[in-house]
Amino acid sequence: MSHAQQPAAGEPPPPPRGLTREERGRDVSAAQAEAEAQTSAWKRFLHLMSPRLVWSMADGYPVVVKQFLQFCLILIYPAWVFAVLVGGLFQLAFYVTVYPLLWLLFWPVRAYQKKNNPEEYAANRAKYANKKWYET
Amino acid sequence: MGLLQRASVVVTPGVVTPRQTVQATVVVDEPVRRVRSARLDWGYVNFYQYHWAGRVDSVAAEGNDTMWTAGQVGTNYGGDRDTDDWVSVVVEDLPIAASVFDGAASSFRIPSWAPASSQAIARWECRLAVDREGRDVAARGEFVVQIGTGDVESYVEPLEHVSGAAETVVDVSLTKPVWRAGETVTGHVTLVPSTDLPDGDLAVSWQRERESHPLTRTPGPGGQLDGRIVQLDKRIQLRAGTPVTLAFELELPDDAPPTAAAVHSSINWFVQARLMYRGFNGHSLERVRRPIIVVNAP
Repeated sequence: MSHAQQPAAGEPPPPPRGLTREERGRDVSAAQAEAEAQTSAWKRFLHLMSPRLVWSMADGYPVVVKQFLQFCLILIYPAWVFAVLVGGLFQLAFYVTVYPLLWLLFWPVRAYQKKNNPEEYAANRAKYANKKWYET
Repeated sequence: MGLLQRASVVVTPGVVTPRQTVQATVVVDEPVRRVRSARLDWGYVNFYQYHWAGRVDSVAAEGNDTMWTAGQVGTNYGGDRDTDDWVSVVVEDLPIAASVFDGAASSFRIPSWAPASSQAIARWECRLAVDREGRDVAARGEFVVQIGTGDVESYVEPLEHVSGAAETVVDVSLTKPVWRAGETVTGHVTLVPSTDLPDGDLAVSWQRERESHPLTRTPGPGGQLDGRIVQLDKRIQLRAGTPVTLAFELELPDDAPPTAAAVHSSINWFVQARLMYRGFNGHSLERVRRPIIVVNAP
């Protein structure tokens, strides 16, 4: 947004401006962009454990700091894989234990919606129709 | 010849508006010898914020918001820093006779697009750089650029819808689009409910937005500052098809940095209105804002 008037004759043109964070778009490393491009949740989970993605977390740091961070990231890589696996297990455990409970708990709410707002209920069901349980 | 060559740049007048001309006088304690070249650089120091390290949207950045690293200094990923860069507008080579430099004078016409001087955006300077065999000589003189009402284009900019489901059409109209720092902004907020709605709670305030858009570095997030919130009415009856109009007055700060667009950062001003509905219900908060232009000279 520029409020200044057009440059008058005989004066230097205004120097071009840069781009804001919103105008530049998402700022991620190549490895992370590749991981985010995966459509399947399972492949995304596998990409999260890739050493290239962990290594790329040092991207964008100044020289020397970056190399030191890469060294530290190599050191913690086994712990990272362990953490991702444990996180995955927790997620799995959540779906197996908590989801059925929630399903049961919200049974009356769903029954009420099905009876009183049938169109909305059908639309909501259609939204999740072709999805696996781990994609919901 | 002394070891320390001293030069000073004096710019007059110290405070100017666009399209005016400033004079710079370079004074040296004693003639500077063995000079290869000398030049005067007119421009401004541009202040902005940049992301100094790490990728902004990296997976590691998500760790910044976790509870177990809250308050732990040095555990954050990346970060933003304030910095500045020199933006050169006009460079002028000064004549050197027989490798001796003994002062100069020059003038500069402030461009019409010049961003105003303020701590958030720019500091205008005239810089002297003398390149010589031996220690170079550098000096700078500062001057202040103020923006007057006549230096900006006066037009009403479209209303921006920030949030809400537009169940009530909120419109902010101002008596004029250009305001001076310290002035009291006056205008009206018009509410047009599309259906019968719960009672409304309306408030207005000014908003200052600073954006960083560096040419090469990764930009910082930018920031917004809201002025004092002026409550207009807490229980506005909102009935379908019955428009409600309320007048408001907002005081702009005396030291408000003017609306400016520089190379690496810019400042935009808005008058924003927010409407909340009474009670717990599904009606979401409506927020709109109208851009205004703030100047600091008559």
